[in-house]
Amino acid sequence: MQEKVLQIINQIRINNQLEKIGIINEKDDLRNDIGLNSFDLAELTVRIEDEFDVDIFEDGIVSTVGEILKKLNIQ
Amino acid sequence: MKPFVIDKEQIFHYKRLLKDINNSHHYYKSYKSFKLYDFFLNCIIALLSNKNLILLDADLNLSEMKDSAINAHLNEKELIEPLHFDSFTKLVDQLLKSTSIITIFTSGTTGQPKKVDHSITTLTRAVRKHEKYTDQVWGFAYNPTHMAGLQVFFQAFENGNAIVNIFNKSRIDVFNAIEKYQITNISATPTFYRLLFPVEKEYPSVVRITLGGEKSDKKLFESILKTFPNAKINNIYASTEAGSLLAANGEDFQIPKISKDKFQIKNGELLIHRSLLGRSEDFSLTEDYYYTGDLVEWVDEEIGLFRFKSRKNELINVGGYKVNPSEVEEAILELPQIQHVLVYGKPNSVLGNVICAEIKLIKESSLLESEIRTYLSEKLQDYKIPRRIKFVETIKLTRTGKLQRL
Repeated sequence: MQEKVLQIINQIRINNQLEKIGIINEKDDLRNDIGLNSFDLAELTVRIEDEFDVDIFEDGIVSTVGEILKKLNIQ
Repeated sequence: MKPFVIDKEQIFHYKRLLKDINNSHHYYKSYKSFKLYDFFLNCIIALLSNKNLILLDADLNLSEMKDSAINAHLNEKELIEPLHFDSFTKLVDQLLKSTSIITIFTSGTTGQPKKVDHSITTLTRAVRKHEKYTDQVWGFAYNPTHMAGLQVFFQAFENGNAIVNIFNKSRIDVFNAIEKYQITNISATPTFYRLLFPVEKEYPSVVRITLGGEKSDKKLFESILKTFPNAKINNIYASTEAGSLLAANGEDFQIPKISKDKFQIKNGELLIHRSLLGRSEDFSLTEDYYYTGDLVEWVDEEIGLFRFKSRKNELINVGGYKVNPSEVEEAILELPQIQHVLVYGKPNSVLGNVICAEIKLIKESSLLESEIRTYLSEKLQDYKIPRRIKFVETIKLTRTGKLQRL
């Protein structure tokens, strides 16, 4: 699952002409560490929804990689 | 005698039409039919008999209609006085004096279809009748129950022209029909033409191309002229509410001097005076003007020249920014690999909406999502760039052949 999320994050980075990142940690902050802006976060939700059928932002803001994984694991 | 309707290889001549009219004893007030000839025949009989007519889409799902009176009388025969015409000219003369009320519906892409009553005058206002039009052959590329289709029908019918049905046909069928029946005039939505291209061959029989109902652009004009080198391009502004109103040569529409006070632009929206409209209980008028929902901008206010930007209800709110999907589509269409594109907003918990695109590529070409995004980043502001691009085989259209924004 973590691998898939990394893949999606990298897809967004490539689309924004940024370099791929090698690893993500649960503690990583989506904005500060991974460098996503609010448009990127919206794109992230769309792509995760396409892949896992879960809207990670449905009940409030998600700020770290760990929080995404938690939402996906509950399902 | 000349052909009147050519539909699915079947030819109905004007002679047959005259005979069928003279032999008619009834008509259908609300009529649903997939057969173009039967549909037009019923319309003509109703108009000649001064009977009211309700035009329903052949594929209409009746649960869409709230009006139970229409449901109750669907495809129900009503008797008429016998008709007798010995010439087509007399028939057309009487038809134009018809007192029938013709009820049509907006395509209803947003909510309940709107009902509008028209008279023969508002429907035929833009028809040009002249001997020089006698030999025209029309490619019929609209739904016959809607305004644009009716405009083409009356234009062709009053001039005794042939009408070849090419609505909802594959591009191969369309080009075959153009060649086989030597079609001279086509009137269709920009989407209809975009789906025909690219094509290597030229079709010299076509001398007039009319576009309407959606925003068009320069690239489309160029493709049209390449395929139809003898064609003049006309752009029409028509609406279900008002019928055909304005014509343009390129992208710019001209308000004629005499009707200058009948049009206004307020907060970027085009307003039309009530005197130009059909009748409807669904219109909301403000001080005698109807708000069209069409967003336009002046090219030259002095001489009344304006250009379309988008439909008001199509603007997509992305985190507080308003995005015009037509603008994004136009930017994407500049890439040579793209055949057709649809831009729409997908509801999103972060931004309200996320801009998404469906793209149909030209055969045997390839393009990556990231390449499109990189290209667009030089053309558009960040918030206008689609955040998800899907490559698809077909793009969904509305009943009237326009793009259907999901």
